[in-house]
Amino acid sequence: MNESTMAVRRAIDELDLDGIGMLVGACLEEGLTPEEIIQEGISKGLEIVGRKFEDGEYFLADLIMAGEVVKEAMPILKARMNPGDSSGKGTVILATVAGDIHEIGKNIVGMILSANGFEVIDLGVDVPAIRIMDTARTTGARFIGLSALLTTMVDSIREVVDAAGAAGLRDQVKIVIGGACTSQDLCTEMGADAYGETAIDALRIFNGYAAGA
Amino acid sequence: MHPIERVLNTLQGKPTDRVPTFCAMVEDRTFNEVLGKPLLPQERLMTNPAARYLFDRWGPVLTKTAFRIELDRALEKRIRAQVELGFDSVWAILDETFTVVDHATMVRFSGSIFNLQPDGYGNMTYMYRGPGIKTREDFENWPYWPDADDLAHSTYRFFRKMMSKYGHRACLFGQGPAYGIHESLLWAVGFEKMPVWIRREKDLVKRYVDRCEEICLKTNMALLDAGVPVVIQTDDFAFKSGPLMNPRLIDEIFGPSYRRIIKAVHDRGAYYVLHSCGDNTLLFDTFISWGVDGLHAYENTSNVDIFREKKLHGDQVTIIGGVGVDYLLTDRSKDEEVVSEVKRLLTGLGPGGRFIIAPVHSLSTIPAHKLRVMVDAVARFGAYPVALS
Repeated sequence: MNESTMAVRRAIDELDLDGIGMLVGACLEEGLTPEEIIQEGISKGLEIVGRKFEDGEYFLADLIMAGEVVKEAMPILKARMNPGDSSGKGTVILATVAGDIHEIGKNIVGMILSANGFEVIDLGVDVPAIRIMDTARTTGARFIGLSALLTTMVDSIREVVDAAGAAGLRDQVKIVIGGACTSQDLCTEMGADAYGETAIDALRIFNGYAAGA
Repeated sequence: MHPIERVLNTLQGKPTDRVPTFCAMVEDRTFNEVLGKPLLPQERLMTNPAARYLFDRWGPVLTKTAFRIELDRALEKRIRAQVELGFDSVWAILDETFTVVDHATMVRFSGSIFNLQPDGYGNMTYMYRGPGIKTREDFENWPYWPDADDLAHSTYRFFRKMMSKYGHRACLFGQGPAYGIHESLLWAVGFEKMPVWIRREKDLVKRYVDRCEEICLKTNMALLDAGVPVVIQTDDFAFKSGPLMNPRLIDEIFGPSYRRIIKAVHDRGAYYVLHSCGDNTLLFDTFISWGVDGLHAYENTSNVDIFREKKLHGDQVTIIGGVGVDYLLTDRSKDEEVVSEVKRLLTGLGPGGRFIIAPVHSLSTIPAHKLRVMVDAVARFGAYPVALS
């Protein structure tokens, strides 16, 4: 393990927003490639943060902070990457379902997925099923994350599942749900593929799909 | 026993004749069912082209004149409906935190922006749109901060009237025009940015917290001057899976203000209840260390275990809540399901006192009938000693 990538990993673990830029710069100066820094420094650092979150040592705000630390690092790395280089885990469409405008949870999931190598298309809030499916069709995205906070809007989840069927995409897309009013039971009832209670659950689920894809 | 005595005894851990009830406010749909529908549905204000034009053109002026007067009427209706539904204690709020900017937008003085929208029952409601303070400059130039003394005066006027009309029939839990300090900051800067603000803009966060504390202190004193026996404040510290921030950090940033706010209420011989949504399991010790007399919500849809909390903290704080609004208090449930859940809560949480049964929240989807079923079930099965099979 290179000492400089260890320092990057440590900076993410310690949520060092101010120091990360300098540490990433030092790695590049040493001749490490952006891919090596992402793989050995950033991804491993995020794994540690995720573990600490699951162990109750870190909280949601710490997850967000880790995402912010990665955001500071990524432009520096991207500037040195060749066009087309990517960790290529796939594209995730995120949306808060129609009738619901709550987006904090969705945004946190987006941040964590982006930091872990997924390309994220965030359609925002109050998104009709048809728009989600149009986006899936035009981009070829195979992963969809739906957020819902309002109990009254859970039927919108079923509408997305049905729209995927009507578009002939149901076998090709994985639909994952999360948010305050959702549960495993609701996931089953609505015909979605998986339920994630936390952003780290969502990452694990999408990582699983990406690995199996 | 009079409802007020029943509630105050419970907050002090003294014996009562039965488990008291608390209504976690009612929305327009519910109070219209209790009191009768208005001639002009509020939703028209948002959909009528002339009204839209007026709000788009003169929103802030209309807020201070027509809109606030209408809102105060609606807030009184909320109190009246809760009392008429037969609750022992009711949530009375004066919400002068808003300015209507246009027909679809409201801003809260503490820095956040909300959508105005129909509630599905012919009324208006609002939903958080996003932060209003995104930069240091936004914070310094935010134009909506009120004069805390003006707020205190209007709080006193409103609650003196409410106490004279309803204060002898039920125990009023009063909330002035001041939302919780933590959730105000969260809404003002946005949750995704709040951790960064806390790290990088410590001086601004401190000034923000101090400003909110001043408003809370002054409006709370006005409530007490008006004779309100219990102050309630809402501050959502958790999501369904746990606290948003490390409890140590929450205590460090917000604890000193809350300790002063609660001490000031106690110094006047009144009681303090904190409403916080989500799973606050890791925060209950912190809240108790701040001096709260009661804690409300214990949302059934979060991971909090109200029965475990009663065992752990039932000798230090009054537990308020437990009745779900996601299914139980909706049109979808059956009356007998409400009765059955009320009995389960009374049996598990009633013994030993320090429990007030209540809905976990207010929602437009709550029918008045289900609240009546709940109140009736408590009257039938909640007498001490609670020993239901």
